Amino acid sequence: MSTSASRLRVLSLLATAALALSACATTPTAAPQPPASEPTMPPPPAQAPTEAPTAAPAEPTAAPAAEVPTKVEAPDCNYGGSIKSIEAVDDYTVKITLCAPDPALPFKLAGDSFAILDSDYLNQTGGDSNAISNNPVGTGPYKLREWKRGEGLTFEAFSDYWGEKAKTPTVVLRWSKEAAQRLLELQSGNADGIANVGPEDFETVEKDPALQLVEISQPNIFYIGFNNTIPPFDDDRVRLAFAYGIDRERIVRDYYPRGSKVAISFVPDSFAVGASPNIPWHEYNPEKAKALLKEAGKENLEVTLSYRDVVRGYLPNPGAVAQEIQAQLKEIGVNVKIEVKESGAFLDSVTAGKEPFYLLGWGADYPDATNFLDYHFGPQNQQFGKPYDDIVAALREGASTADLAKRQAAYDKVNELLKKYVPMIPVAHGGVAYAYRADVEGAHVNPVSALVFAAMKVPRERFVFVQNAEPISLYCADESDGETFTACAQIFEPLLTFKIGTAELQPALAESYESNADLTEWTFKLRKGVKFHNGATFEARDVIATFAAMWDAANPNHKGRTGTFEYWTAYFGSFLNSK
Amino acid sequence: MAELAPARAEASALRVSAERGRSPLARALRRLLQNRSAQLGMSILAALVFVAVFADVIAPYAYDQQIRQPGLRRRSPPCIHVLGCDPSKPQLLMGLDSNFRDLFSRVVYGARLSLQIGFVTTGVAVVIGALLGAVAGYLGGWADALIMRAMDVLLAFPSLLLAIAIVSVLGTGLINTLIAVAIVSIPVYARVVRASVLSVKEMDYVLASRALGASDVRILFVRILPNALTPLVVVAALGIATAILDAAGLSFLGLGAQPPTPEWGLMLGEERNSVFNAPHLVFFPGAAIMLTVLGFNLLGDGLRDALDPRRRV
Repeated sequence: MSTSASRLRVLSLLATAALALSACATTPTAAPQPPASEPTMPPPPAQAPTEAPTAAPAEPTAAPAAEVPTKVEAPDCNYGGSIKSIEAVDDYTVKITLCAPDPALPFKLAGDSFAILDSDYLNQTGGDSNAISNNPVGTGPYKLREWKRGEGLTFEAFSDYWGEKAKTPTVVLRWSKEAAQRLLELQSGNADGIANVGPEDFETVEKDPALQLVEISQPNIFYIGFNNTIPPFDDDRVRLAFAYGIDRERIVRDYYPRGSKVAISFVPDSFAVGASPNIPWHEYNPEKAKALLKEAGKENLEVTLSYRDVVRGYLPNPGAVAQEIQAQLKEIGVNVKIEVKESGAFLDSVTAGKEPFYLLGWGADYPDATNFLDYHFGPQNQQFGKPYDDIVAALREGASTADLAKRQAAYDKVNELLKKYVPMIPVAHGGVAYAYRADVEGAHVNPVSALVFAAMKVPRERFVFVQNAEPISLYCADESDGETFTACAQIFEPLLTFKIGTAELQPALAESYESNADLTEWTFKLRKGVKFHNGATFEARDVIATFAAMWDAANPNHKGRTGTFEYWTAYFGSFLNSK
Repeated sequence: MAELAPARAEASALRVSAERGRSPLARALRRLLQNRSAQLGMSILAALVFVAVFADVIAPYAYDQQIRQPGLRRRSPPCIHVLGCDPSKPQLLMGLDSNFRDLFSRVVYGARLSLQIGFVTTGVAVVIGALLGAVAGYLGGWADALIMRAMDVLLAFPSLLLAIAIVSVLGTGLINTLIAVAIVSIPVYARVVRASVLSVKEMDYVLASRALGASDVRILFVRILPNALTPLVVVAALGIATAILDAAGLSFLGLGAQPPTPEWGLMLGEERNSVFNAPHLVFFPGAAIMLTVLGFNLLGDGLRDALDPRRRV
């Protein structure tokens, strides 16, 4: 404990000192070269500790409030993150330099968490999630007319949108966590589209000529998570016993709609690499489970299983699946108490590593194994307790090359280790279906990204969509919830987006991008003539300001809702200047 | 007319004397047994109590036992052999629930649970409420003001909302639900008892007892309270119905009994998305709640009629 704390402190001292110095420095010269350990800025790190004690970590935040720097840079690559610098080369060019090659960078930046905000607007709101949610200003095809909390959001088409204008002038986004109610809204004509048709209702929708069913095999995973720091799950044998004691095939066969599959690995096998069909998950074996529990001296175990009662593609029947698991574990002598938690509180608690035994899942943000594995088993993630160093090392190996065979070899190792440690039990890849009224043109479901309402056309004034839950906020930089992204994606845009119905990238706020040969320097050419909803023109400084607010813990706009900026830390590691 | 009158007067005098010949309790009981709604309520409740007591015998399966057979899907509709269901399939009077469990067995065990909830919460609430009300009514003054204002505060909240608030402080679970529902129902009983005590405590027989030197405790518990019981019994009978409903409501919201407990409200809540595609899953638990509440309400109405002093001849 003490060693890591002191290391952190030294790091933060170094970082603050470097920031202070870089603020005094004139415009930066040529971009840094790949060699990670060598800082390009003049101050040698050795100098830092001597003057750092005077500057408390929080202090530099107040001074440069209104200015948007043209370059934000890490002093070196030892701060725990993978980004070296972000720089506005000119008004319409942004260059991102990485500490290590990252072939997935464009995919990562296409996530809704990385949507670009106007820099002045960001300064006005101070990056506060509430302020942004009350008056969101983006570049998207829709702007927010009204958010009646607890009822719905109304979007209206943005007349100065740079691309193809929205096909329906008004869109209403509502929610109901009950599948039956969503279907009823659709059948009665109150809604034009609904998310996640209940697994029992596929046929009803198909038989109704007024409705259309849009099915998709979303790359997702439903898993049963453990926390290896909370008893009894700190005992490897208990987790392994649970892995033997849960019949995943029964769960998928009985509680999942068609199009669902029992998970072989954590990563869906539709991805190029990541799944290991030759390393299948533990076979169901209750006898072995009982023996393991006996060996661990944990007979007549009492545990609490927590989940949120929210329907997702990966978990269409949360309550029934929880009770099925309860029933199955009873057979191996484990008494399970079920605890249903409120969605937001549950996620926060899982992220903070406070849930011992829980049901959760993951839908892909981009079609690569890193999105599944690095997010969950990287060094930052605490949801399974203490990260496993050998898994982290294997993940680094898998992400550092573009050679598919080498990557697969690394991920085979990861899957082997996951099977050994059982930080979670991968259960299912759920099939998903959305339903629309038959007269909706352009009805779609996207495998990895949010719906594009602007592409859907109805022969009516308004398009009404009913999803599962209310968005948490409209500042998605600090959110990780799919329902929230649906709302953000209409208002805000990232540099790149996904083509409708696919997981392929297409240009959005960036017209094009290129990288150097070793994938460490990425240059994005920005689109000209893009207006924000407040009339401001989109320029490179907006990109810098947006990313700096997420990346730099000392940035005055580094606030958000909880300040965790989950996607940033999951993709790029530690914050700059983090304490 | 003139000739008939004496005969009728004589008959009624006879009936009065016949009634006078029995104890007040016996008279009340007789009136209760003659009351239509009480008869219906009591037969429903008798059936329920029977089911609850012999649940182990009546229910063909355990409430958390999964029935897995090839070809038998979860949420299967009822299969009753007498009504022409394929005899090769297991008999399922109310069908299977979402987790392959026999709904009939769960509803049967649910009867036991619901009656327990009703009696326990109401019992606790009656004892505490009656004590508070009696003390308030008998002592008067600041004790009365303090207790009854506290009761007014509790009454100011809608009962279910207050119960939700209490449960969210105590945490979810069946026991906490019982506590919450009991707390919520206390003020009603306190008020009723206090009113009766106030009307009784200045009566001659109480004054006489005091003149003979009886202590306050003796006067309150031996002289006054028995005479304040009548309205309490009526309110308590109706209160059981409310308590069962409140507990079912909490469980429906996921704050009460936790799965796999066969609590009717919980069963309804879990299957709320099945209203259209598997209606039996919500119909039977819903009907069970309705019947139970109806039974207690009818009995309560009957009791009120039977015990109402104005209706005594």
